[in-house]
Amino acid sequence: MAVCIAVIAKENYPLYIRSVPTQGELKFHYTVHTSLDVVEEKISGVGKALADQRELYLGLLYPTEDYKVYGYVTNSKVKFVIVVDSSNTSLRDNEIRSMFRKLHNSFTDVMCNPFYNPGDQIQSKAFDSIVSAMMVQAC
Amino acid sequence: MKQRYGPQGCYLLKINSRSDATGADEQMPDPWSQYLHKTSIHNPELYEESAVNNAVENDVGAVEDGFDSAARDDMSESHPLQLDQPTETCYPGNNRSQSVDMTRPQKQSSVTPATPRWTCLTLNDHDRIRQFLQEFTFRGLLPHIEKNIRQLNDQLVSRKGLSRSLFSATKKLFGGGKVPEKSIADLKNTAGLLYPSEAPELQIRKMADLCFLVQHYELAYNCYHTAKKDFLSDQAMLYAAGSLEMAAVSAFLQSGAPRPYPAHYMETAIQTYRDVCKNMLLAERCCLLSAEISKSQAKYSEAATLLIKMTSEDCDLRSALLLEQAAHCFINMRTPMVRKFAFHMILAGHRFSKAGQKRHALRCYCQALQVYKGKCWTLAEDHINFTIGRQSFTLRQPENAVAAFRHILINDSKQSAVQQAAFLREYLYVYKSMSQLSGETSLPQLPLPCLHSSQTRVFFGHERRLAEGEKQAATHVTLDQEYDRDLSQLWRELEEQVVPAVNRGTVPVTFQPSQCCLNSQTDNLRYPLAVVEEPIIVEVVFRNPLKVPLVLSALSLLWKFTLKDFSGPQGGTIGETITNEKEAASSKDNAALNDIMDTQVIPEFTVSPEETKVARLKLLPRKTGELHVLGVVYNLDTTDVGSSEDSPASELMCVRGQQNLEIQGPRLNMTKEEKTSVSYGPDRRLDPIITPPMPLLEVFFINFPTGLLCGEIRKAWVEFVNVSAVPLTGLRVASTHPEFFTFGSATSDLTPVTPTAAEHCSAYKTLATPPSVAAVALVSPAAFGVTGGDRPAVTEIPLSRGVLGPGEALQIPLWLRGPDQEGVHEINFLFYYESTEKTAKLSHRVLRHTAFICASRSLSVRATASRSNTLQGGEREQRGTEEKNSSMLVFVDVENINTSEAGVREFHIVQVSSSSRQWKLHQCINPAGDKGENSKLANRERGKLCFRATRCRTEEGGTAATSGAIEKYTFADLNLGNEQIVSSTTPCADFFFRRSLPSEPRRGGVSTGSANQMRRHSLTPHNANEDGVTSIIRKCSEVELDIIVLWKAYVVEDNKQLILEGQLHVALQTIGKEVCSLSQKEETQEMVLLKFKPDVPPPISKPSLEQLSHLIKTCLHYPESYDHPFPLKSLCMVPVTLTLSNCSLAQVDIIIDLRHKTTSPESLEVHGSFTWLGQTQYKLQLQAQEVYRLSLKACFFQAGVYNLGTPRVFAKLAQTSAMCETSQQSAMPALIIINGV
Repeated sequence: MAVCIAVIAKENYPLYIRSVPTQGELKFHYTVHTSLDVVEEKISGVGKALADQRELYLGLLYPTEDYKVYGYVTNSKVKFVIVVDSSNTSLRDNEIRSMFRKLHNSFTDVMCNPFYNPGDQIQSKAFDSIVSAMMVQAC
Repeated sequence: MKQRYGPQGCYLLKINSRSDATGADEQMPDPWSQYLHKTSIHNPELYEESAVNNAVENDVGAVEDGFDSAARDDMSESHPLQLDQPTETCYPGNNRSQSVDMTRPQKQSSVTPATPRWTCLTLNDHDRIRQFLQEFTFRGLLPHIEKNIRQLNDQLVSRKGLSRSLFSATKKLFGGGKVPEKSIADLKNTAGLLYPSEAPELQIRKMADLCFLVQHYELAYNCYHTAKKDFLSDQAMLYAAGSLEMAAVSAFLQSGAPRPYPAHYMETAIQTYRDVCKNMLLAERCCLLSAEISKSQAKYSEAATLLIKMTSEDCDLRSALLLEQAAHCFINMRTPMVRKFAFHMILAGHRFSKAGQKRHALRCYCQALQVYKGKCWTLAEDHINFTIGRQSFTLRQPENAVAAFRHILINDSKQSAVQQAAFLREYLYVYKSMSQLSGETSLPQLPLPCLHSSQTRVFFGHERRLAEGEKQAATHVTLDQEYDRDLSQLWRELEEQVVPAVNRGTVPVTFQPSQCCLNSQTDNLRYPLAVVEEPIIVEVVFRNPLKVPLVLSALSLLWKFTLKDFSGPQGGTIGETITNEKEAASSKDNAALNDIMDTQVIPEFTVSPEETKVARLKLLPRKTGELHVLGVVYNLDTTDVGSSEDSPASELMCVRGQQNLEIQGPRLNMTKEEKTSVSYGPDRRLDPIITPPMPLLEVFFINFPTGLLCGEIRKAWVEFVNVSAVPLTGLRVASTHPEFFTFGSATSDLTPVTPTAAEHCSAYKTLATPPSVAAVALVSPAAFGVTGGDRPAVTEIPLSRGVLGPGEALQIPLWLRGPDQEGVHEINFLFYYESTEKTAKLSHRVLRHTAFICASRSLSVRATASRSNTLQGGEREQRGTEEKNSSMLVFVDVENINTSEAGVREFHIVQVSSSSRQWKLHQCINPAGDKGENSKLANRERGKLCFRATRCRTEEGGTAATSGAIEKYTFADLNLGNEQIVSSTTPCADFFFRRSLPSEPRRGGVSTGSANQMRRHSLTPHNANEDGVTSIIRKCSEVELDIIVLWKAYVVEDNKQLILEGQLHVALQTIGKEVCSLSQKEETQEMVLLKFKPDVPPPISKPSLEQLSHLIKTCLHYPESYDHPFPLKSLCMVPVTLTLSNCSLAQVDIIIDLRHKTTSPESLEVHGSFTWLGQTQYKLQLQAQEVYRLSLKACFFQAGVYNLGTPRVFAKLAQTSAMCETSQQSAMPALIIINGV
């Protein structure tokens, strides 16, 4: 259902980007990259006092002609971005939310791996399979 | 002049008074220095501009003065210093011509391109100029301005008296014609409206400008504001916009501003300029001003939007500048917007490059790269790098270009193949032109393909041919084999077995296990040794990270070689160092160094997209010395399949370069320092030492089988060839399975029968003898190379004269015996040899061979020994008591367990031989006619053979067993057919001595038994007595007899019948215990409970009851049937002899009880009918191995069948008082028939 799933580190470089292979990768990179600005805006928009109980899910970041971009920020400022085909109307906010939650759980597992160096590219098979499951479901 | 302009307007300035400029003008202060940017000095064009700008600005005293654009148009033509600079300022008034005149020489002097400025001026001149300026401003300029302002003000005020109303009324009256005129002619071009210079609106404007000049911003703002209103009402948009702009500026400059900065003024002004007046130049000027103001108010995002808004398609340079400024705004924001900065920088760079400003473009891209460098936005990074590469190249900075391109190519790029091919082409082109430019001799380092240095493998030696006709070469080591740690450890252990065997039991200090193939896992701490005239093969691993194929041509190794002559004393003399770098640089054939080192060149090597491929590069050293392999050198080329034909294109895209092989050793982790720090050991894989010539052995196997039946004996041949020019000696072989093969014993005659002639003969040596009593031979194990109890792991191979000369070959027979376990067996041979002359460098060499043998099931032999209860009749009197005692029955149960019905038709048991130190097979008990039947076994058939074994006569009981190592084995052959196989010769005896010993230690074996006792002695001395007893007791039930079953198998293979031969060994150890030739499948080791308490020492000292019951052998002798006339004589007396023989080697006390057991009533019924007469209980003492006969009398009352086996015998060792007597195994039921007559 998702056409592109990205994990962006706190320092705004990608830890993981996976997109549907058929379309141009560059476009998705661009989309994800652009979304970072919106994410940043949204984070800074929330007051500092509220930062603790802040909702991790950011909702729809921005829609483009073909895609809808959803964002999610963990407490450690790691960003998840899911790009969804805008023609896909079956996806509601709740589904996106659960996708993010799943992604977050898997990401936490990756982080718990003692052999993972924080800041490295994610090369976990388990994570890979979760992501591909999310991407396949739609097609 | 004074008359003309008045005394106030004239001034005489004396300048350029210096006559010679050669004086010490260095210390002259440079008045411009503080205004000129350092950077502009390097750039002559820029310098001029900035110099002029600064000069003008300096004069005016304000950064940006408000100049009237209309006035400027008048002025710009006449101004001698007019340049195409929008920010250039001119003076709005004609009346100040003298100031312009006066400043002109000054400017000209600054404009002169000579860097040292003001060289013609003395210090006095400086002062004078300064004084002049002051005079000019205070006396001329300011009063002039004041006067003007006053005049204008008066004018305006007076006009205001008449007031606007009149003014507007007149306008309405007279201007009626003016407005329609404007609407017709200039409706579109409202900006074209021109005011006469004395128009009141312009007067206001002029006054505002003057106020602005003298920094009277409040008044200036008001005036601008009025002027704006007037202009607007007149629809003179250009004027209005100008006024608006200036109003905003003066409002901004007003310190302690009473009103907020009117940002919308600027916006309106820009909009008007752009949309209404279509005057982009002015719009931009206004925009820049506005942006600067916003920036100074820290409104960066507004500034950025303004700047970005102004970018347009038509002018690249302008847009680029604006974008760059915008980018800088983004980065200056309170929370820097880095990505926006980078994005706009790239846009700016793009526009710059379109405008042809390459240097600026490159700068922009470099700045953007800082944002993306090292982050994983690969696509973005690739794009930036690619552009940087291109721009750098066009700017003749090839190093940077190469670095940028390299960056694209090395990383795992996600670009498409087409894109990558383009990158690669570009890269190669740049590289090529760079190398042409620099023209340096050392080759550049190429980034592609990736070289995995650590995976480099080095192989010393020739590529071997594996099979040559029927000859099969030793496998040795090849590069194709994967490295296996266990395997290499195994070879190492084998080598460590051989070396002490050669060096009289000690391993020399310099011992170094031979390694022919070095890789990342081998021990590379030492310099490997290579032999001169033997090739060194370096396997290099290339990986192509791209999606396009790479072609490497003229690939060869780079090396450095130090000549060294090892034959001299103390390490030899060091010669010169030679390298092939220069030769390799020119890709021509480098034959010049071939007499030192023959370097193989691979003409073409293609690495497919994303492939990892190995290249094997060969070096052939011709001299001794030290070699260092430095790296690889090659031409890098792209293949476009279509264009590969036309040579000029490919020639163009081909770059020669090198890559170094740098191998990091393993991380050190031994000492504390090493553990706490990260340090790596050396890796000397690529630095071999070339030693003087050594012999080189090739081993070929002829008729070497791949499949064998278990226990099958096969004769093969092995050929040793010395292929070097140096004689070879000390040939030995070690193996993991010494029981698998034998080269024959020294005693056997090594007649050099050719392998073809011996093909159909039996492997055994045979004699034609009819089956009869066993033939006996006595053999010492030493003759078969067996010295101790251990199996010989190392075998020496006899060479004629002990030396194998250069080019000589030796063929010797080799017997193989199929392993006892079925399955595939890996058998490793290690051939050891050394040179005849001892060189310090390389003491020995080895050759490895691995054979795989598939063993299939043949026969299973089970054997049991049991004590014969009957004493031999007939000749027993002559033999004496001793002999009678020591005979034994051996049952051999043979089963055909072969499962392949098609292959093996049947097995024939040809012969059964025995080998032992104490026993020998004497006779086959099976009936003669039965033998032929029994000895043939088809599938899953089974046969039993029974033999009688006797104790060897030559051996005096236990004395020989203890006499030492020179004990001899007796081989007894019992052939079932007409041919006797001499089992005491090669190969039968060889394999017997090489047989694998059973896993449990042989009880009673001389060495192990005594060792056991020794151990127990030391543990519990007070038990010594009992231990002795135990061993005595044990010994009496022990045999040490090895049965060798020799068989023939009839095998059909390819419609041909083959006869295979083989032998199986069974070792009998204990009487009554069945032993199988196939060692039982080891039961899966049960989990042993971990015990934390020490075990209670097992009471071994107590011999088991079962063992004790074998002390005495009993036998009853009596007539089988006895006729007695009961009617005549009611009592029948039968004499019975009870023979007791002591099996043990100690005195035994015996109690014989003849009384019937009175336990059960039935026994009374059976036995009650007869009774023993005379003494019914005896107490005897038997010496060691003594036989005692006891005459008894049985008394019968009536005819019938009786069991005489009632006497119970109890025995105990004489010296042990503590033990009670043990009941001895009762004899078989002994039936006697009493016939009544």
